[in-house]
Amino acid sequence: MGADTSDTRALAEGLKRRDPELLDQLIEQYQYRLFRYLLYLTSHRERAEDFFQETWIRVLERGHQYDGKSKFEAWLFTIARNLVIDWQRQRKVQSLDTLTDPAQEAPLQIADTRNPSPLHAAIGDQQDHAVRVALEKIALIYREVVVLRFHEELQLDEIAAVMHLPVSTVKTRLYRGLEAMRVVMTETLTGGAA
Amino acid sequence: MNKPAGNSRSADLHVRAKQLIDQHHVEGLAAPEREWLDAHLQNCAECCALAESTESALRALRTVSIPFPSGLASRAQFRVRLRAQQLLEREPRSFAVWAIAGISWALGIATAPYIWQLFVWAGERLHVPKLALQLGFGLWWLIPALIAGGILLAEIPRRRFSGN
Repeated sequence: MGADTSDTRALAEGLKRRDPELLDQLIEQYQYRLFRYLLYLTSHRERAEDFFQETWIRVLERGHQYDGKSKFEAWLFTIARNLVIDWQRQRKVQSLDTLTDPAQEAPLQIADTRNPSPLHAAIGDQQDHAVRVALEKIALIYREVVVLRFHEELQLDEIAAVMHLPVSTVKTRLYRGLEAMRVVMTETLTGGAA
Repeated sequence: MNKPAGNSRSADLHVRAKQLIDQHHVEGLAAPEREWLDAHLQNCAECCALAESTESALRALRTVSIPFPSGLASRAQFRVRLRAQQLLEREPRSFAVWAIAGISWALGIATAPYIWQLFVWAGERLHVPKLALQLGFGLWWLIPALIAGGILLAEIPRRRFSGN
C-alpha cells in the first residue's frame, strides 16, 4: 500500500506505547470518517455508536499490530469491519455478504423506504435524504466498496486489505456498485423512486 | 445490410464509452483511452449525459453530511483512557509472574546437581526407593511451572470479565 512514511512509523510507535494523547488525537481526527463508515455498514445509529467506541478500545489493545506500512485509516476500517462481522457471526450469520446477498449475484435489494430506518434519521436535509435513500437501495456488499472508494477515497489495494478480498473482486464489486448507484441516484434525485 | 452493421458499430462505441466512464472512476484511465473518451463525449450526447449523471451521483455521495452524535468522541476517549489504565495496572503483575518463574527455573537449573545429591543423601538415610526419589526430584522441578501456570490461568477469567 506504500504508506510507509515517517508519520505512519511514528504513529505505529505511539500505538505500541499506547500513548493516550495520541489516541485522543486519532479519535478526534477520524471520528467522522469512522462513524460514517460504521453507519453505512450497520444502517443503525446506536449500533454504529457502540462499534465506534469498541473500535477505539481495540485500537488501544492491538495497537502493536499496526506496522506503519499501510495507511492508518485502512487499518482502522479493518478493525471496525471485523468487529461488525464478529457481531454478525454471534448472531449466527457467517459474514456481511451472506447478510445481504448470499449468492453475490442476486439483484440489488430494494429497501422499504416507507418505514424510515435509523440511517434515515441520521441524515438531514433533502439532498442528503435523497442520497441516503439511494444508498439504502444498494446491496451492502456494493455499498461498502462504493463508500470506501468514493467517500473515504481508499485505493483499490487498501479496500482489498480492509475487506480481505482480492483486488479483482473489489473491482468487480465497484463496477457493479457504481452502476447500481448511478441508477438509484438518478431515479431518486429526479424523483423517479422517491 | 450496411445499416445494421453501422448501428452495431455505434452501439459498440457507446458500450466502450460506458466502460471507460466507469473505469475512469474505478481504476483510472491511460492517456490514449482518456483522449478517445473525451473525443467521443464531445460528439455523443447520450454518453455525455451518462458521464454527467455518474459525476453527479458521486458528487452527491461525497458531499452527503451525516450528523455526528454529540459527545461520542469524548465518551470514546474516556473509555480508551480507562482501558489504558487497566492494561497499565495489569502489565507489572504479568511481568512479575514471568520474572519470578524465570528466576525460579534459573535457580533450579543452577542448583539441580546439589539438590539431587541432597535427595540421594536423604533417600539413603530414610531408605526411600529410588523411583520415589526421582519422582520427588521431578516434582521439585515442576513446582515453579505449576505455580506460574496457575497464576496465569487465574488471570484469564479476569481478562474476559474486563472485556479483553
